[in-house]
Amino acid sequence: MNRRVAWLVLGIVVVVALGFAAFGDRSSSTTRAKQADTISRGVRCPTCQGQSVAESAAPAAQAIRSEIRRRIDDGESRGEIEAYLEGRYGSDILLTPPSEGVGGLVWVIPIVVVAGAAAGLGVALQRWSRRALAHPTDEDRALVQDQL
Amino acid sequence: MKRRRVAPWIAGAVGLVLLGVIVVAATSSPAKERIADSPLLGLPAPAASGDVVSGPDGTLAELRGKYVVVNFFATWCVPCRREHPELVQFAARHAQAGDAAVLQVVYGDRAPTVRSFIEKNGGAWTVLDDPKGTIALDWGVRGLPESYLVDPDGIVQAKITGGATADGLDALLRRVERST
Repeated sequence: MNRRVAWLVLGIVVVVALGFAAFGDRSSSTTRAKQADTISRGVRCPTCQGQSVAESAAPAAQAIRSEIRRRIDDGESRGEIEAYLEGRYGSDILLTPPSEGVGGLVWVIPIVVVAGAAAGLGVALQRWSRRALAHPTDEDRALVQDQL
Repeated sequence: MKRRRVAPWIAGAVGLVLLGVIVVAATSSPAKERIADSPLLGLPAPAASGDVVSGPDGTLAELRGKYVVVNFFATWCVPCRREHPELVQFAARHAQAGDAAVLQVVYGDRAPTVRSFIEKNGGAWTVLDDPKGTIALDWGVRGLPESYLVDPDGIVQAKITGGATADGLDALLRRVERST
């Protein structure tokens, strides 16, 4: 009886372990594929116009996608993979411009422009409201009176 | 109230911008043999090895000690076909001295087509296949034709896009020699 229980327990352990191994690996593989896809969406296809390597079917895009996947499988981080690609193609290979140095201007300029436009609009509105609230002078009243 | 005349100012500004565009377009070099920027400049050249499509067995590493023009090309690329005789001429000029060589890497083309093109148009150098585009990726190739001048120490000295010429490559080689 004890032996039967022992075999049963062993069987359950083996089944559970196999299940974990199979599903665990699949889940990790899915995560790596998602990670590769996320990185690919941020990398410009070097031989196309305005497409990411995730969207493009160009051979160069396919090569970059494979390289990204290979490097993820090798345990490299997103930063390391992007640094590798920048080291080959230059910083414009990344669709998201860097937030430091000259690239940071891409982020700063729109904010400055919007702030400037908002300030300009505010000043203009203030002027228009002042003009609308202008009271007629005695001369104006006299002129109107004469006309009437 | 005196109204400011804005239209002449706007027209003037647009005119100035157009003039600037015309000046830049007129003074920039034509789309031929351009020296391009690359993050690889000044760094050790990436490896270039693979199955040999044509010419003697060899890799870039085996050509250390001489200047090497690493040229990425395809037979379907018209500027590459125009560039080819220039590479043949460059290689011929340096064949006797043995100070410079050409190494070609096939980009998105079939090996038999390339082999027949080389047989017909010359090029006794090593032509490497790159079916998965890994060599091109390592070199950061963006379009065809694209060439890199690697010095005898294996350092990338220049990137040439839009088709190289034999005279242009020689001038570049002399400039690199003077600067190193």
